[in-house]
Amino acid sequence: MTFFMTLLHLSFYSAFSLSCLGLAFHRNHLVSALLCLESMMLSLYMALSIWPVENQMTSFSIAPVLMLAFSACEAGTGLAMLVASTRTHGSDHMHNLNLLQC
Amino acid sequence: MAYLVFFLGVCFVLGGLAVASNPSPYYGVVGLVLASVVGCGWLVSVGVSFVALVLFMVYLGGMLVVFVYSVSLAADPFPESWSDWRVMGYVVGLVLAFGVGVVGGGFVGELEAGVVTVDSCGAGFERLDFNGVAMFYSLGGGMFLVAGWGLLLTLFVVLELVRGLARGAIRAV
Repeated sequence: MTFFMTLLHLSFYSAFSLSCLGLAFHRNHLVSALLCLESMMLSLYMALSIWPVENQMTSFSIAPVLMLAFSACEAGTGLAMLVASTRTHGSDHMHNLNLLQC
Repeated sequence: MAYLVFFLGVCFVLGGLAVASNPSPYYGVVGLVLASVVGCGWLVSVGVSFVALVLFMVYLGGMLVVFVYSVSLAADPFPESWSDWRVMGYVVGLVLAFGVGVVGGGFVGELEAGVVTVDSCGAGFERLDFNGVAMFYSLGGGMFLVAGWGLLLTLFVVLELVRGLARGAIRAV
C-alpha cells in the first residue's frame, strides 16, 4: 500500500509539526505556548476540512466545526490560566510556574 | 492558479514557523493571523467556502481577537522580533528540522501536486460543506448539545480559575 502525500498534506503536516516543536521549546512567555497550541488547532482544522473533500463524503464536515468549538473552550481555559498567573506573579513568564521545582 | 495555491500552502507553513519560533507575543500573533488568512484562501481554492467562512469568523474574528488583547498582559519593555539573534536561531533550527524531515522521510521526489476539489465527482445540487455542517441540526443534534454544554461549562471553568482568595485553583493571593 503506497502512501501519497500531496503538497497540501505536507503543508499542514509540517505546520502542525513546527508548532508542536515551538510548544516544546517554549521560552519566556506562557502566551507564546498558547499561540503555538492555537496554531496546532488551526492546522488540525485545515486537515479535518479537506478530508471530506478528498473522500467526497458530506457528513464529515461536522468534524472541523466541532473541533473548533472545543478548541475555543481550550483557548478560553488557557487564557484564564494566563490571567491567573499574571494576577498572582505579575507577569506570565514561564519561570514563575515553579511549584514543582525542588 | 496552481502556483497561487502552492504559494498559499507555503505561506501557511511560514505562518506556523513564525509562531513556533517564539518571538515576543506581539509578533507571534501576526504569524497566526497570517496563517489563518492564508488557510482560508486555501480552503476557498479547494471549494469548501463554508468552513472557510466559519474559520474566518469564529477563529480569526473571535478567538484571535481575544488572544490579541490578552497579550497585553505579556508586555515586554524590549520585545524580541525576528531580527533578534535568539529568535532567528530558532527559525534556522526549525527550518533545518523541517528540511531533515522532508529529505529523511523520502518526500523529495514523491510529492504529488494534485488536489481533489469539491466538484471532482460532478457538480451537484447539494454543496458538500453547507449540507454537511447543516447535519449538526438533524442527525448530529446530540453532539451539538454536547458542544453547547462544553462551551457553557468553560464559562464556569474560567470563573473558577480566575477567582482568588482561597476559592481559586491557582491563584495564591
